[in-house]
Amino acid sequence: MTEFLTAALGFILAMLALGLVPILRGPGDADRMMAAQLIGTGGIAALLLLGAVTGVPAAADVALTVALLATFASIAFVKKGLPHLDADEASSTEDR
Amino acid sequence: MTVATILEMVLGAVVLGLGAWTIAARETFAATVGYVAYGLLVPLIWVRLDAVDVALTEAAIGGGLGGVLLLGAAARLRASEPAAAAETPGKIVRLGAAGASVMVAAALSAAVLLLPDPAPTLAPAAIANASATGLANPVTNVLMAFRAMDTMLEKVVLLLAIVGVWSLASDQAWGGRPGPRHQADPHGVFAFLARLLPPVGIVVGIYMFWTGADHPGGAFQGGSMLAAMWLLVIMAGLTDTPPASGRWLRLVLIAGPGVFLAVGLGGVCFGLAFLAYPPTNAKPLILGIEVAMVLTIAVTLGLLVAGAPERSPQR
Repeated sequence: MTEFLTAALGFILAMLALGLVPILRGPGDADRMMAAQLIGTGGIAALLLLGAVTGVPAAADVALTVALLATFASIAFVKKGLPHLDADEASSTEDR
Repeated sequence: MTVATILEMVLGAVVLGLGAWTIAARETFAATVGYVAYGLLVPLIWVRLDAVDVALTEAAIGGGLGGVLLLGAAARLRASEPAAAAETPGKIVRLGAAGASVMVAAALSAAVLLLPDPAPTLAPAAIANASATGLANPVTNVLMAFRAMDTMLEKVVLLLAIVGVWSLASDQAWGGRPGPRHQADPHGVFAFLARLLPPVGIVVGIYMFWTGADHPGGAFQGGSMLAAMWLLVIMAGLTDTPPASGRWLRLVLIAGPGVFLAVGLGGVCFGLAFLAYPPTNAKPLILGIEVAMVLTIAVTLGLLVAGAPERSPQR
């Protein structure tokens, strides 16, 4: 079972490394943002598997934190990173 | 070489490469995204090193709040970025910067390479005395009991940081509300998420703090989770940032260090020493301090990310 989980962990780490390519290359900010979300999701999976393989049950808590805060970061991407999607920009001028 | 070792090496290489790219990236937004992804990957390494407490903090600060803070800075710099990128520093400045960086890196590597082996450690002493406080998590023991002075001063530093941020406010906005008033479609996906996620996040935040007594976790991790949920509601326009002059807000800001100091002075009054807990009541006292600290940390971190007051208190 541990071998299988380790293999799954290796596969997810490989996917994470692939997911870095759009962050590095872009081309657009939105592509980078989506890739960072993918890293968040893959990171959760890797943390859960790592916790199971190495016998660290508290890794699930770290995965929980990453799950909630990666969502939070992606909201901030949309609010601040992509001005053309920013509802604040159009409706008020006191932002800047 | 086992499969696990190979995986560790791959993980280390990926994180190092991402870190190097984040430093080298020219565009602020791209670099910020790289930093957030880095903050989401580093917890894996900390978990592998059995430092779950550090992993939790890194996930909360590096991936979450720190990333949002940097994104806000990148959004502000967006207008001036082309002008700044067009200015290339002179050769002497670049050589000087390179030289200074090499010297810092060399000093750091020398310090790491010259560490005595085995490293001097107080870990066995901390484990041996764990029963004195009734808490099973050695990290919480060190933070709240054995090195309580450091932790108390850290909370004062948080207070100083928020004073520093607030002092950047203009005269018109003095004592006003930080950041812009956010607006979003009240029936949209964003407002829905801002109603759906905080209840979960608040439970998880309180759980992080509570479980910190016996398992990895603690007031800082719980507080940063609560801060993130508060900021989410603010960004969705469901509530506004409180005015910096608010009395309740200021009371919450000083609650953590205040309660800590009061308990510490209580230790002096009752015949022990400053910040010494009576062994029978150590755990309730520590938990009491941590409750106040969670509130203070949540509000302070939220306000630090929200920024300096921008609108006068009347509006």
